[in-house]
Amino acid sequence: MDNNNDIELVQLSLGGDALAFEHLVKRHYLTVYRLSYKWCGAKEDAEDIAQEVFVKLAQKLKLFGRRSSFKTWLYRITINTAKDFIRKCATKRGYETAFAGQQSITNPGPPLDDHLDVRQLYKALDNLPARQKAAVLLVFGEGMSHKEAARVLNCPEATVSWRIFQARKKLKTTLEHQV
Amino acid sequence: MAYFSGQEKTQNDFGASGVIMKNDELKKRLNAMPVPDPSKEAREKALHAAMAEFERLEKKDEKNIKGFSWFGRLKAKTFQRGPAMRKQLVYSVGLAFSLILVAIIIWPNFISYRKAASYKTMHKTAPAVKSAPPTLESGQAVKGKMPAADTIASAPVVKYARPPMETDWARQPAAPATGAAGSRKLALRAYSAEKEGRFSQPDQTYVGRDRFRTITANPVKLVRETPVSTFSIDVDTAAYAFVRRALHNGALPQKNAVRIEELINYFNYDYPGPGDRTVPFRATVGVFPTPWNPDTKLLHIGIKGFDIDPLKKPQANLVFLIDVSGSMKSPDKLPLLKNAFRMLVETLDPKDRVAIVVYAGAAGTVLEPTLVKEKGKIMAQLDRLSAGGSTAGGAGIRQAYALAEANFDPAGVNRVILATDGDFNVGIRNPEELKGFVERKRQTGVYLTVLGFGRGNYHDALMQTLAQNGNGIAAYIDTLNEARKVLVDEAHASLFPIAKDVKIQIEFNPAFVAEYRMIGYETRLLRREDFNNDRVDAGDVGAGHSVTAIYEITPAGSKGRRMDDLRYGRPEATTKIPMHANSAEYAFLKIRYKLPDAEESRLLTTPINSESEYQTLAKVPAEARFASAVAAFGQLLRGDPYLERFDYNDVITLAEKARGKDRFGYRAEFLNLVRLAKTARAMEDR
Repeated sequence: MDNNNDIELVQLSLGGDALAFEHLVKRHYLTVYRLSYKWCGAKEDAEDIAQEVFVKLAQKLKLFGRRSSFKTWLYRITINTAKDFIRKCATKRGYETAFAGQQSITNPGPPLDDHLDVRQLYKALDNLPARQKAAVLLVFGEGMSHKEAARVLNCPEATVSWRIFQARKKLKTTLEHQV
Repeated sequence: MAYFSGQEKTQNDFGASGVIMKNDELKKRLNAMPVPDPSKEAREKALHAAMAEFERLEKKDEKNIKGFSWFGRLKAKTFQRGPAMRKQLVYSVGLAFSLILVAIIIWPNFISYRKAASYKTMHKTAPAVKSAPPTLESGQAVKGKMPAADTIASAPVVKYARPPMETDWARQPAAPATGAAGSRKLALRAYSAEKEGRFSQPDQTYVGRDRFRTITANPVKLVRETPVSTFSIDVDTAAYAFVRRALHNGALPQKNAVRIEELINYFNYDYPGPGDRTVPFRATVGVFPTPWNPDTKLLHIGIKGFDIDPLKKPQANLVFLIDVSGSMKSPDKLPLLKNAFRMLVETLDPKDRVAIVVYAGAAGTVLEPTLVKEKGKIMAQLDRLSAGGSTAGGAGIRQAYALAEANFDPAGVNRVILATDGDFNVGIRNPEELKGFVERKRQTGVYLTVLGFGRGNYHDALMQTLAQNGNGIAAYIDTLNEARKVLVDEAHASLFPIAKDVKIQIEFNPAFVAEYRMIGYETRLLRREDFNNDRVDAGDVGAGHSVTAIYEITPAGSKGRRMDDLRYGRPEATTKIPMHANSAEYAFLKIRYKLPDAEESRLLTTPINSESEYQTLAKVPAEARFASAVAAFGQLLRGDPYLERFDYNDVITLAEKARGKDRFGYRAEFLNLVRLAKTARAMEDR
């Protein structure tokens, strides 16, 4: 099982095996990057977030309690890192979304244009409170069940369902307003 | 809040109304989101940043908690959290406790085994990784050729530095773990093994956290089955000093610390030196009755190297590589070290060069290579050394060798002198890499001396390995006198090698010798084919040095035979007709050596026959008798089962009669040690 391999690598790393740690990083880099991208919508930002996540992984490895799977734990770190990152770049993001907003108004192509669609969705996601956004990305972006997402987010399953419910309402509103 | 009223319409908190987004639509849009691939540079950058952080934390941990148990390690790591992480402390502590249980039960063996597995598997699957041990690369760099026709030429392609018999401290099987990770438990393990052993071992053993490789005494061998014995000479003296220290503290030393060949070779013997300079040393052999067994004999081999004319000695280009970690603060460590180096500098010539590199506290070069002409500058820098400080950077051993190479004197002696109390955080973390590095550097002509100080953290196994692989010697400095001995009195021997890669091979003659047992040298045994293989390295002989090796042999027909002849074997068929059938030879001795700057070895041979025999112990030269006394002492300390009723009193008697000139009083000191051992043993018997 994948998690067993991860656990093995974690244990070896904790024992000082640098190669094991390298394997661990390489194994999960793409997943972390993709989630980061979906969170912030910009490639460079996603790369920065991903890097930060793995540096944090080195720092926090000893804290991995194995109560959850390694991937779950790594997702959690990723989401927290992404949240922090966004907060730090709030101003910068504001400009970007504003610009995106302008673009969609001046260039209003058909609503199913993927490019616009994506931008709109990002904007809409950005407008969600972070917790709802996290729930949405995990469940709809990563294909997790509510239960799995709850483990990542360290909250009850029902809370995840509630947040998704709220998010879906809000997203619809936001997206409608965009068009 | 109004919930589901049967329709999909709801009021949300923000006042606007509308339908809720459908699940599948959301899923579709999110999944349809194209994610651009991350750039390769970003990936690499992230990997490097993570690795750098990983290594930084590993180093920090090792520096703070070396020598601790797993519990301490966990605890120390936990409590390094900064104020920002305080809220995680609860998790950490809880985690620590639960992991401790696991640690106590499983992890030490698990980790040491897995570590072995990891080097194997990881290196197979990720050959591009830079920390893979470069054994083949170093093999290719060797310029040496195989020796000429008169010897049995074997042609292995892979270079291996140490025979597999020797427990390699980085690769360990799960059970009797003696590797870096398991060795922390070694002291306790050896102690409990002793208690269970057949040979009653004293309870009063000095255990501490000092780490030694496990040694099992050489077994008795049948000449018919294994007629050839091959080994590398050893001039290290660390074991003697360590044993001395333990005895001075009123306790018997742990069994694995007693390397008998190092006890014997601690003393300089007055064997006849070489007649002329064509051969750098001379071998003297003697066969005489065993002091502790009337039915066997001792075969004693003494090698004496020529001493260097002080007026003509080669220039020394030395780099002191000094451990300045916090643990070096105690008076028997850095302060003693400083005195020792001061004394050494005093013996040097104005044209010699000294550089100082520190590690594990501050890091880097604190003194560029400086002529001893500017002695004041060197001494001032030595004075300034202090223990403690922040974590080292990556400097250390690489820097030390770089300095030695930068001022490499082809006609002189270039040497790195590493002084430590057991912290080998010299800038290369991976033990395999460190070993490989030292091996490669050996080929550049830079020698290595490893000086151990202090107690409680002494990593003997690692010290020995580095010295062996790096063309060097290992010594343990416990007192100022020892410092004087190693670095002043025997400075020539310590600094100037006159022969390197010295190997000995003996073939016993089954017509006259039935069994033999080598005393000591358990960690120096070589394979039979290693003798002629110039790529297999061995010990060096320093100027003026003497080296001794002793076998206990059972003559054919003696009632001292320990092993019966085979019932089904056909003795005639298994032995070939001896080469010199008509001469009464006990054995044939071969010695291979290389001149210090040569890659090809030279061969010396001599038969061992009745010309070398002494019929009674009294007729044997004092030097050989004294060496036998030391050999007996070592065997008593280890509890080897071959001594019959010979005890410490007998050792004293034998040694006292063979004291000889004893210019520096080392032999008198030896007698004191035997008395101390006797007392320590008596105390536990009470």
